[in-house]
Amino acid sequence: MNFTREELRKLATPLLVALAVLGAGAALIWSAGESLRDAQRTLAAAQAERKQNAERLTRIAEEEREVSQKLDVYQRLKSLNILGEERRLEWADAITRIRTQRELLDLRYRVERQQLLYSAVGKPANVDFFASTMKVDLALLHEEDLLRFLADLRESGNAFYSVKRCALTRTGQAATGTTITPRLRAECEIDLVTILDRASKQ
Amino acid sequence: MATRRILYFTAEDHYLYRSQGSALELEAKFSGDDLGVSAFREHLRGQRRALYSVLADLAGEDFHEELIPYLRGSDRAAVIQRRLAQRYRDTRLAAALSLGQAASGERRNERLLLTSFTNTQQLAPWLDALEEAGARLSGVYSVPLLAPALAARLGVKGERALVVTATRAGLRQCYVDQNRLRFARLERTVEMVPQALAMFVRSETQRLLQYLVTLRALPREGAPVQVLVLAPPGQRALFEQALVSDGRLVFRSVDYADALKAVGLKSAPEGTAAEALYLHLAARKPPAEQFASREERRSFFIWQLQRGIVAAGALGFAACALYGGSRWLEVMNVRSQAAVQNREAQLAAQQYGRITATFPVTQTTTENMKVTVVEFSKLAEQSASPERSFVHVSRVLEEFPQMELDSLVWSVGRPGAGADKSKSAKQGEISVIVEISGRVNATQRNDYRAITGQVQRFAAALAGSGYRLLRTQLPFDVTSEGTLSGDIGTGPDTGEAPRFTIVVARRLP
Repeated sequence: MNFTREELRKLATPLLVALAVLGAGAALIWSAGESLRDAQRTLAAAQAERKQNAERLTRIAEEEREVSQKLDVYQRLKSLNILGEERRLEWADAITRIRTQRELLDLRYRVERQQLLYSAVGKPANVDFFASTMKVDLALLHEEDLLRFLADLRESGNAFYSVKRCALTRTGQAATGTTITPRLRAECEIDLVTILDRASKQ
Repeated sequence: MATRRILYFTAEDHYLYRSQGSALELEAKFSGDDLGVSAFREHLRGQRRALYSVLADLAGEDFHEELIPYLRGSDRAAVIQRRLAQRYRDTRLAAALSLGQAASGERRNERLLLTSFTNTQQLAPWLDALEEAGARLSGVYSVPLLAPALAARLGVKGERALVVTATRAGLRQCYVDQNRLRFARLERTVEMVPQALAMFVRSETQRLLQYLVTLRALPREGAPVQVLVLAPPGQRALFEQALVSDGRLVFRSVDYADALKAVGLKSAPEGTAAEALYLHLAARKPPAEQFASREERRSFFIWQLQRGIVAAGALGFAACALYGGSRWLEVMNVRSQAAVQNREAQLAAQQYGRITATFPVTQTTTENMKVTVVEFSKLAEQSASPERSFVHVSRVLEEFPQMELDSLVWSVGRPGAGADKSKSAKQGEISVIVEISGRVNATQRNDYRAITGQVQRFAAALAGSGYRLLRTQLPFDVTSEGTLSGDIGTGPDTGEAPRFTIVVARRLP
């Protein structure tokens, strides 16, 4: 069937109306679909949160025990000043004190600049582990002097002392009998580890 | 529902009715002469774009049965058009009604009832007026074309029946077979009392029966034919009394009010007779067959198309809305589920908060405290003191007094990372590594076998108490790849003891 121009003009308006109405219907479906997807995402997030909270609640007894256990360690770290900023002056004081107390013949040391060992993910903030490498050169009468020095250092606190390397060599100097001559030399590398809990209330 | 106007066309006067819903109103009356046409044109001026149909109730209506080959589509239309042209001089108002298939031998045929008005000229000026006014002509019908619909409404189910009604034009008799019109005639009547009308109905029905038998439209012998007579208002009892059934005719009188109800017409204009039923059917349930040509109905077709397009759009929107609505219901359901989950999560969090409030006071969050302690523990596990290694080496040395150490290098690291990678060492494991360099005393320097044996025993002794041997460097290269040299008994002894290096490692937990 052929239509005249006049007839086509008459059909144009209903056609536009029908298309507009169909477009509105399609928009309705699209918006409903979008809302459904959005609601499903919200539901999934809510379900995950509820599950997590419920599991956390179930584990609370265990967590309480864990907290009390870990709290002891945490407080010990705090009291030893391992937790917190570096205390380089205290380190220097401690080494001087040890040398005097142990009557060490020769003791030289150098503490390198601080470096981040790694950053552990915490909530609400990370926990950063820093290390400053200390190189120590010791003149020893006996290897026991080195072990005492390390023990004293550990006792002094203000950092966790992680010994990385110790090389003991003979000096080759013969004992004169008049002066105390070191028989051994020790060269050690020790990491002075401190922890910075960024969520900690100072 | 759109208002439709029906021009009821009789031989004398013409009436314009307006049909809206289940109501029928007389809008205007026109005389059958030129004055009437002029008045109709004038009336149409105020009714442009209205929907019109014409219901002709005329005596001169021809019915003729034809047999055509069973065809479809344009071929059928062409054959029908040819047959109509052969039958009628003026085919402007001619129609062909299908009476179904007719089996005749091997060839399939179709029976047609050709029908038209013997004088179409009386209708022409009225149809022209409609066309000129731009009115939407939905169709031109005759009362007989609507008779099958009326018969069906009044309870006739497929059997042969004569529908007898008294209209303004006269007594209309329609023969309906299998719900299809076969024949009709109009007998003019004058004003007569109901009793006389009933008798007239009876005599005219018998005459029609005789005629139909003569035409072989009805069998000479056979089951009686049902005659459906529409009695004027309140005259049914009288009609039933007058119209006595016999062996050939079974009369059934229907009250006018019941007939109105059966066709769904609530109110009919005063003064109208049975034509009100046909008018209402023409307005609300028009049959597919009618007399107007396609061109005359073009405006109506465009109007139908417009409404169809909008209706299709509305239907599409309704389907979309239905689907969208179901999705929205789903959205609401999911949202309510999410709200429940959120509430439960909050309750659990609040309960957790209440319980943890009773925990010992910490200077940080529980999470950070855990992380700090766990990570520190790992670090501490991977750290060691040289003391244990020194003790181990001292104990072994006590068993080997001829061994003298020159140096001892203690370190923490991965054994595989060194230059000499032992096959037994598991790479990646943090270990304490002890490298011992020394000399073998109290043994002849040139006694390779004794020196090698002592170093190997010393190394074997060191590889115990959790330590494993990583490397042994002997004073002499006794392997096939190396060079072994000797100077036995001739040269002076330098006095320097043979040197060795042993590397052992202990894995940290």
